[in-house]
Amino acid sequence: MIQVNNLTKVYKLSKKQMAEQKTKKNMKKAVDNVDIKAVPGEIYGLLGPNGAGKTTTLRCIATLLKPTEGDISVCGLDTVTQSEGVRNKIAFLTNEIKLDPQFSPTYMFRFFGRLHGLTEAQINERMKVLFEQFGITDFKDKKIDELSTGMKQKAAIAVSLVHDPEVVIFDEPTNGLDIVTARTVTDYLKELRAQGKVVIVSTHIMTEAEKLCDRIGIIINGQKVMEGTLSQILTETQGEDLEDAFFRLYEKYNTEEVR
Amino acid sequence: MNGIRTVAGKELARVFGDKKLIFSLFIMPAVLMFVLYSLIGKAMGGMMDDIEKHVPSVYVQNAPEGFDEFTKSLEVDSETTYLKSTDSLDDIKANIKSGDADLLIVFPENFLETVNGYSNGMEIPEVKTYYNPAEDYSSEARSTYANTLLTAYQQSLLADRVGDLNSLTVFQVDLDESTSIITDEGKASGKMLSMMLPYLIVMLLFTGPMSLGVDAITGEKERGTMASMLVAPVKRSQIVVGKIIALSLLSCLSAIVYAVSIIISVPRMFNGMEVDGLATSASFSILQMVQLLLIMLSLVYFYVAIVTLIAVFAKTAKEAGTYVSPVYIVVIVAGVLTMFSGNSEMQLPLFAIPVYGSAAAIQRVITGELTAAQFGTSILGIVVVSTILTALITKAFNSEKVMFNA
Ligand SMILES: Nc1ncnc2c1ncn2[C@@H]1O[C@H](COP(=O)(O)OP(=O)(O)OP(=O)(O)O)[C@@H](O)[C@H]1O
Ligand SMILES: [Mg+2]
Repeated sequence: MIQVNNLTKVYKLSKKQMAEQKTKKNMKKAVDNVDIKAVPGEIYGLLGPNGAGKTTTLRCIATLLKPTEGDISVCGLDTVTQSEGVRNKIAFLTNEIKLDPQFSPTYMFRFFGRLHGLTEAQINERMKVLFEQFGITDFKDKKIDELSTGMKQKAAIAVSLVHDPEVVIFDEPTNGLDIVTARTVTDYLKELRAQGKVVIVSTHIMTEAEKLCDRIGIIINGQKVMEGTLSQILTETQGEDLEDAFFRLYEKYNTEEVR
Repeated sequence: MNGIRTVAGKELARVFGDKKLIFSLFIMPAVLMFVLYSLIGKAMGGMMDDIEKHVPSVYVQNAPEGFDEFTKSLEVDSETTYLKSTDSLDDIKANIKSGDADLLIVFPENFLETVNGYSNGMEIPEVKTYYNPAEDYSSEARSTYANTLLTAYQQSLLADRVGDLNSLTVFQVDLDESTSIITDEGKASGKMLSMMLPYLIVMLLFTGPMSLGVDAITGEKERGTMASMLVAPVKRSQIVVGKIIALSLLSCLSAIVYAVSIIISVPRMFNGMEVDGLATSASFSILQMVQLLLIMLSLVYFYVAIVTLIAVFAKTAKEAGTYVSPVYIVVIVAGVLTMFSGNSEMQLPLFAIPVYGSAAAIQRVITGELTAAQFGTSILGIVVVSTILTALITKAFNSEKVMFNA
């Protein structure tokens, strides 16, 4: 289970960042008092426009960033005080995290298997299952550098799952993938749900959120403005579909004063 | 422990799996060094041969009677042209200037009469030479004529005048110079080596960490591959230690490559000339070698730690490079300082200064003068500093500001 309580994350901006973002404030509140609860056997979707704070929220859950305010627990472990325990239970995927380009998927899989303390036998077994699942076998010994975007993403997903984690945190997992490859990924996420894992994904693709997620949290300018199942959101916003609902919310909340 | 081994293993695999990196790190420096020293040796040897083989063109004005025979009897090889007192010297001087002629010797008119007719108080005649120090052939011809031929000619004229030359010699110093040298041969040649070696070691050991450390830390940060490791359930300290161990191993290896290629190449520079210093390196005692090894290891640890610390704070490899270069200069200066300070007294606490203390200790190992206290101080000092640096690196690894720019 993932429990995010009153999460606020403030980035301190360097002079250069202030200039880039054309702001005079040296602080950027990327996530503002957000609560999230994701339970085993469900796929929770974080939906939001660029810069909404999705990646920041997921990084906090994955222990890479410390909350400025609030706290997060994963499987009952605190992400700040028990970060190593949390890291043992999660798979975390984001487009800024990459596999070493000069190694093969096989090497990276073994490397992370060892870091997770698995035996060679366990690693081999997981590798067989996951490489087959994602169709990696054909290029498993090629350098990651030589793979296409889709192949890289598939390899990255397989590697992140080496230790059969209880919690799966994927930041825009289908970003840049064609529909065939994207389907492989979403199908696997559904399988993980069936296995009783906690799955949290971020996306800005409406149809993906509609089809994949059991519950959706809509996040705009760092604030969670709505949460619920698809039908709950449609009812509450009186939108025709998720896109329509999203724009109604966006018009309402993306005001100058919040920014 | 498992984490350390895995992280270090990947670092080594990264370098050894990359043919270009192996080439640029280990093979190219060795080949370059060998080729360079061979070329220098060849050029130097060729130059000397050439000068020896060259027959100088010499002009002599107002040559005294018998001078020609005297020259031939000494077997001085030259193409000599004899000039009369009326001949103009301007053309010849211009030729010497342009390197077409090598030497001009001008005897005063009536030289022999003046010499033979000498009595107390009279003016002593002067033989004047003209040459061009910028030309190798010319300088060589001048040194042969002035030092050998004219001195001998002077002696022979003097002998004619006084009869027995020995009556002019009160005593001599050191007829056979080689028998008068009393020294510990190891120490004497060690002295030469002790001047150069600390500097070379201190400098060369830095090249490995410099070229590897930035890529292994800043490079991984830039590529986003570092973050993937930070999500794995290993302590940050294990990642740091794993990286440092791998980098140290690689640096030692590259230092060995450098050292071996220097030892192989330097004699080629002297091309057959005897190189005493290198022979003594074989006569190190076991204790000296162990001391040298420990000092070098501690030095590598320090270098790796300081480069890593810089690399972890730098945002891009380029930025890291600009910070590492000044450190390299400081290191070189520390090495050079010991080269010139010689074996003068140095206060014990100074040995604790990283790099400087190590260079001084290496110098004393080679001359066999390193005391246990000096050795201990230098090792302890640098290891303590490096450990503090390692702790700082771990702290930086735990900082989201440093690792994620957040
Ligand atoms: N390291 C950082 N330092 C300063 N500000 C940052 C940093 N990372 C993100 N931000 C800012 O925080 C806000 C949220 O960024 P975040 O990456 O979480 O958004 P996102 O929802 O993932 O967007 P996207 O859909 O573009 O990936 C943005 O305004 C961004 O500019
Ligand atoms: Mg993002």
